[in-house]
Amino acid sequence: MLREYEGEVVTMKKRDSDMPGATHSSSAMADPLGANSEIARKLKQYYDDLVSDDVPDRFADLLSQLERAEPARNKD
Amino acid sequence: MAVSMAFKSDLLGAIPSLRAFAVSLSQNADKADDLVQETLVKAWDKHLSFQPGTNLKAWLFTILRNEFYSQMRKRGREVQDSDGIMTARLAVHPSQHGQLDLKDFRVALEQLPEDQREAIILIGASGFSYEEAAEICGCAVGTIKSRVSRARTRLQEILQISGEADFGPDAIAAQVMGSSAA
Repeated sequence: MLREYEGEVVTMKKRDSDMPGATHSSSAMADPLGANSEIARKLKQYYDDLVSDDVPDRFADLLSQLERAEPARNKD
Repeated sequence: MAVSMAFKSDLLGAIPSLRAFAVSLSQNADKADDLVQETLVKAWDKHLSFQPGTNLKAWLFTILRNEFYSQMRKRGREVQDSDGIMTARLAVHPSQHGQLDLKDFRVALEQLPEDQREAIILIGASGFSYEEAAEICGCAVGTIKSRVSRARTRLQEILQISGEADFGPDAIAAQVMGSSAA
C-alpha cells in the first residue's frame, strides 16, 4: 500500500508541473483533504483554537472523584 | 488499585483533544463538556477493556462519538432544523484580501452533515490516520476518504474559495509526505 502511494506521488508531481489545477481528480483518493489547501489550514486553526482552550476544573475533580470511589468496588 | 495512576493522567492529558472533538461534533460548548464528562466516566468504567499499548486517544474518541450519536437519537435530532436557518442566514463573502475569517469557517463547518464534519475533523485536525478514523467511525477507509472529499468540496463551495492551487504547490507537501513515509 505504501509502495502504491509513493508511485502515485511521483505521478502527481509530474502532472502538477505540467498542468497545474488539473490533477485534483487523480490525487483525490490519495489525499482528499489536500494537505496544503486553505481548507486544511483553516481546519487546523479552528481546531488548535479549541484544543488550547482552558480546561475547566470540573474534569480533574471528576477524575479524582472516580479515583476515590474506586477502592470500594475493586473486585480484584 | 484497579485503575492505574498512568491511566488517570493519560485521561487528563486527553481532555483538551476530547473537548475540541466534542465541540466540533455538537457545535455547542455546554453539550460538548457534558459529552466529555460522560466519556471520562465511561472510560473509567471500561478501563479494563482498554488494551495498554493501543491508541488511547482513538479509544476515547470512539466512546465520545458513540455517546454523541446515542444522545442525538434520544433527543430525536432536535437540532435538525437549524440547518435551514443557518443556510438562509449565511452569506460568507471572502474578505478583500482573500483571507478567510475563522468565524466564517466555523459557520461553514456547522453546515456540514455530521458524518462529513467528523471525518474531516478526525483527518484534518485531530491527526488520525484514515485507518484510525475508519475504526473510530465504524466504517470503511474508503467511506472516510469520500466523506472528507465531499466535506472539503462543500466547504470550498460555501466559502467560495478554490482548491489549493492559489496556495502553493500540493506537490511539495506530497513529496514531504512521501519521503517521510519511505
